[in-house]
Order: sequence, then structure tokens, then C-alpha cells
Amino acid sequence: MPRATSTTELSEIVRDAHDARARLRIVARGSWPARTAAVATDAALLDVSALSGVVEYVPGDLTLTAKSGTTLAEIEEATRANGQWCPLLPWGGDGGTLGATFSTATHGPCSASLGAPRDHAIGMQFVDGTGALIRAGGRVVKNVAGFDLTRLLIGSWGTLGVITEVSVRLRARPAVDETWSVEIEADDASAARLDEFRRGPLAPLAMENFNGRSLVRIGGNAAFVAASREAVKSLGAAVSADPESWTRLRESDPRPRGPLATNALADPLSQRVKKQFDPAHILNPGILGEALA
Amino acid sequence: MSLLSDELSSIVGARHVLERATELLVYESDALPGYHKKPRLAVFPGTRDEAIAVVRALHAARAPFVPRGAGTGLSGGALADDVVLLGLQRMRKIISVDPSARTATVEPGVVNVNLTKAAAPFGLHYAPDPSSQSACTIGGNVSENSGGPHCLKYGVTLNHVIAATVVLPGGDVVKLERPTADHTGYDLLGAYVGSEGCFGVTLDVTVRLTPNPEGVFTMLADFTSVDDAARATSAIVAAGILPAALELMDHGTIECVESSIYAAGYPRDAAAVLLIEVDGALAGLDEDVREVQRLCRDCGAREIRTASDATERARLWQGRKKSFGAMGRMAPHLAVQDAVVPRTRLAPILARIAEIGGKYRITVCNVFHAGDGNLHPNVPYDGNDPDETARVHAAMREIMEMCIAEGGAITGEHGVGLDKIGYMESLFPGDSLDAMCRLRDAFDPERRANPGKVVPSHRCREWLAAPGAHS
Repeated sequence: MPRATSTTELSEIVRDAHDARARLRIVARGSWPARTAAVATDAALLDVSALSGVVEYVPGDLTLTAKSGTTLAEIEEATRANGQWCPLLPWGGDGGTLGATFSTATHGPCSASLGAPRDHAIGMQFVDGTGALIRAGGRVVKNVAGFDLTRLLIGSWGTLGVITEVSVRLRARPAVDETWSVEIEADDASAARLDEFRRGPLAPLAMENFNGRSLVRIGGNAAFVAASREAVKSLGAAVSADPESWTRLRESDPRPRGPLATNALADPLSQRVKKQFDPAHILNPGILGEALA
Repeated sequence: MSLLSDELSSIVGARHVLERATELLVYESDALPGYHKKPRLAVFPGTRDEAIAVVRALHAARAPFVPRGAGTGLSGGALADDVVLLGLQRMRKIISVDPSARTATVEPGVVNVNLTKAAAPFGLHYAPDPSSQSACTIGGNVSENSGGPHCLKYGVTLNHVIAATVVLPGGDVVKLERPTADHTGYDLLGAYVGSEGCFGVTLDVTVRLTPNPEGVFTMLADFTSVDDAARATSAIVAAGILPAALELMDHGTIECVESSIYAAGYPRDAAAVLLIEVDGALAGLDEDVREVQRLCRDCGAREIRTASDATERARLWQGRKKSFGAMGRMAPHLAVQDAVVPRTRLAPILARIAEIGGKYRITVCNVFHAGDGNLHPNVPYDGNDPDETARVHAAMREIMEMCIAEGGAITGEHGVGLDKIGYMESLFPGDSLDAMCRLRDAFDPERRANPGKVVPSHRCREWLAAPGAHS
């Protein structure tokens, strides 16, 4: 199995594969969903897990750059000490890597309130299907210099390039972060109250069904959370819950659900993009449901 | 009359095609003085079908074109020599507002603030608010991925666009949608937003609308040194408070604003002021306001004024939003920069900008989105004075190179256009620039849409200009 220990090595491996038209299946922790069976069976595994570690973290700037093989748990640990986080919190848990989370654009229970992967990335580095090492965006929080290759790569399932490094914007963790388990009646009045809560100024960080109850996460400064807590209690019988419930819930629900049954490369524009970045069609071939030659 | 103009006239009506030099004068430049390019003609479709037909006619004629909204851009983006200028400001219908889904679909020529007005009866607004929001269009905002003061908390245009219908330069109409949790496919919408008119022509845009906050506090903190104001900015960011907006104006800018009709009552003897807005749910808002005030005082704020009502708030904001215009009183031209730097480096970088200004004997007026580290060191000057012009250009280059060396970016919200294309090679390696060209080629294989912008063309490996060469 080819194993890249540096971006230079990775570039060489992909360039050689491009020249030989040899198919590659990109893998790091192997925490991508089980359904990667869609990748052509003759593809050689390309192990990128060695490209790992935080490259730069400036707490005062609330920005962090890490190699793609860094796990989310490692980033969580590095930022927690400064009261910060990168709240990707994807389905499947934090054992997977930064590269996989962005490649698959995996959402999580907090995505609606705190942003999806495309909202967190400020820059990245990747090796395209010809072996070229490409830098996009940067390490500052606002940037419109050049066409947005960062957004293009997010959710492209490794089919346009192998992500080697990602820069993200961080957020301050909420000063108070509470989880409640609520039993909400199935009547119209309860539904209306729930809708008002979710759309109103006290909207929660996350809300999911869990073991027949609603798990609600509220966060902010003490006064905000005090008001939110009252709002949660007005929804139904509420008990304080273990914040770790969220981890268990995410780990028990290993989304993303995998490539669609339909061909995501069916439209001519997507096909032209694919051809520009992986002309030999060697990166994760088949994973987007496309037919293989 | 040329064949092309006859054909375009037959699509949109002769009065919506301009050809005479005098009529085209206004389309030779945008809101950044100093760039003049002469289009061969200008065409203004009034409907989606007309816009599609125009693009197809341009494709058949292999004619290069530049899409343009209200011409409020600040990068020399919506102009080029000898092109067809495709003006979209007649397409200004708000197609729908859906208060329960909190979305709206609009044509590209809708003025930014008119969208917010249409959303207002439902307690909603469109969050990205460029300072030119009373004139700039949503189509232009999408092309530039525009920001604005409130983007600190609410995000830039990219974060608010859900879908767009686009006619590609080859004439195909495509619907680009923001990928969702359940939809896998390339984020072509993300690639399109901020493509500066190089990828196609926007026919309609669907955006997210944001609920108006329950409470808003607008504060003006007054400092006797720029350094203190910059430190206060870093302190607020580091404390984990996310204000809706955090803007810095220095003495030069305050003077310009206070001497103009946009006078906002800023203290004229201050070295810098911070305009800080904190908003959100009423619960917990007071605590954030008090914390911001404490941090400003700790960093040496002389006085902190809080707007007591909507009128006072609007006045404080007017001075900020009209400050570029107010600088027009100082000199006939204005050089505008848009660099972004790491927020912890603001204080030393502002000191360095002041030094560079002194060295080249120019007046630098700083007015910017401090919370994002998005600088606007602006220099009023007389473009007819070759010596002064040369000094301004030299100073601007030095400022930009310093920002790049500090790990910054060359533009945070104005776009590359013509004005910053010369810095792209300092910022990105050749392979990265080539990759950007390749993305453009997927949308516009003939490179006819807004030619010569964003990426220097000598950085694009292959020229696939021949018709059919892309297939």
C-alpha cells in the first residue's frame, strides 16, 4: 500500500499514478462510511494518515491550521485549553480526521446553528489528480483572493484532490453549555411551542431525538442560558442530561450516508470540473456513483 | 451599427443597447477611481429570457463580455476594453419572499437594501451589508462574495446564498445549489460565489434571510491612540465575545467624515474610535455589553457612548458607511486597499502603515472591519499629479507586501479585479494559480467572461480558446 509521509511524497505518488492511470482509494483512519465499496475494486489504497499534526494555532486569532490526518479529537484537545473549539462535531464522532470530515462535508447536530464544514474552512492545501500541490484560501478569517478552490474541494469525496492541510476558524466555547433531555407531548400546542423555541432568539445549539426523548443543547453566557433553560422546561418534562450523550449519539449514527445512488457527476459542468482536476480519473473512482471505463 | 448590436437590439430593444462613446462613458469605470476601460457596447436585458438570449448571441459571436451590476465595485472588476458590457440592473424583481422558510429569491439587479426592505415586514433582513448597500446589487454581491460590517458575526455572502441560476458563457443554464447534509455533489455554488463575473451571468439568487435581533447595542469607544484601539479589538476577540460589528476609524477618517454632510458626531480629537455593535437575544445581552465596555476601558478608552435610540444608531453608522464617499472631499482620487491580516497583528501593522505613509508623504485614512482584521487603508490623492500618484502607488505596494509577509490576504471583500491582480503571484504559487484557471475553464472554456481578471493570464497553462477545443 503506498503510504505518503510528506506532501512531496504524496505529490509523487499521485503523479506516478496519473501517468500510469493507476486508480487510488484514499484512506487515513478508515472512518469513512462503510459504503466506500463504491470505489473501484482495483484501486490501490493510498494511506495519508501520516500527514498529521497541528501546523499553526494562534489562539488570539481564533484560527488553526492542521494537516489532514489530524483527528478531530486532537484538535478538540488542542483548542479546549484556550476555551475554544472548532464545532464541526460530525455524525460518526471525533475519531475521524479533519481531511475526511471536509472531504465528505459531514454535518453534525450543531451544523444548523454553528455552521457546516463549508462555513468553517478558511483555506486548504491539496494534491490534485495530476500530482500538483495546490494552496487555496489562507489563514485569515476573511478572504476573497482568487477563485474558491476551498469550497470546491469540500464535499468532493476525494475525487478532485487529496486534501493535505486545512485552516479553520475557531469559536469561543460557550461559557455555559448544558444538555437537557425533554419529553415533548405529541399535541399541536407542544409542536407550536417547539417551533417557536427553535426559530426564536433562544434557539438551541442542537436538538435531536434520542431514546424517545429530545436531547437539547443550549449554550451562551450565564444569563442567556438561564433564559434558555426556562424555555426548554416549558417544552415538556425536562431533566438535566450528561453532555457526553452528544458524543454517544454522534458515534451511534455514522453518517454521512455515503455517495448517492444517483450519479453526482451526471451534469456536464461537474464532469468538466472533474476532468480539469483529475483527468485520468484515478481518485476514488466510482465513489460519486459515476460509471467506470 | 454593428451586426452584433443589431442582434442584441432585436433581443432587448434598441433603447437598451448603448454604442455611442458619450453614452458609454459612465461604464468605463467602477467606484474605484483610476481605472478606465472602454467597452465596445453595453446591453441591458430586462428579463431572464432576454439575458439568456443575449449570452447565447455573445457566444455565437465569440464576443468577450463583462457582467455588471450597479458599478459600485472597488477593484476595477466590472470593466474591460473592447468588450460587451452586460448590465443587469434592469432585472430587479424580488421574485418571492418565504417568511416561514426564511428565504427570498431575487433577480440579480435587486439593490441590497431593497431586499432587506422587502423582508422587514416579516421581522427578517438580509445580513450581508456592504457599505454601498443602498446602491449595490445582489448579483454584484454574489460575484464579489461581498462582506460588510455585520459579516463579523453573520458571515459573508457565501454563507447566505442557498442557490443561484446561472447562464454559463456557452449558453447553458444551470441551477447551482448549496449542498446539504443529504446531498453529495460538488459545491459548484461555493465555487461560483466570488468568481467575479468570470464564470457566467447570474439569472436569479436564493438567499437566506436572518431574523432581526431582539436587542441591539451600538457603542462608540474613543481612544487617544490607534494602538489602544487595535489592542481593544484583539482583547474583545480573544475574550470570546462575537460582536455583530467591530469597526475602527482613525483620526484621518474621523476628520473626513466630520467635515462632510455625513457628520456623525465622532470626537474630532480622538486618534481612533471603535464602532461596536452587540446584538442578539435580550437575555445575556447586557452582560456582553458590559464586558465590551470593560475591555475598552482596560485598553485606555476615554469615553464610551452608547446609542440610545434607532436615530442615534443610524447616525453613528452613517458616518462609517459613507466614509469612503466623505474622503471624496479631500482629493479627486482615492486609492482603496482591502488586505486582511491576523487580528493579533493589528497594532504593529497599523503602526507600520503609518510609517509607510510618512515615508511617501501621503495621507492614509484607516477605516475598517477591525474584528475581522480586514484593513482599508485609503489614500486620497490627485491622479493628475504624476509625482503624488507614483508615491501613492509605491506606498500601496509596500503596505500590501507587508500584509502578505504577515500572513495576510490581499482582499477580504472587494475582489481582485484589475486592482489586485498584480499581487496574486506574491500570494499564490504558480500551480495554485493554474488550478484557479482550470476551475474557470470548467465554467468558461473560451475565457470570454470578464477576461483578464483575477488570475494573470500568463499563469494559465493552456489556452483553450479555439471553439470546441474543450470538448
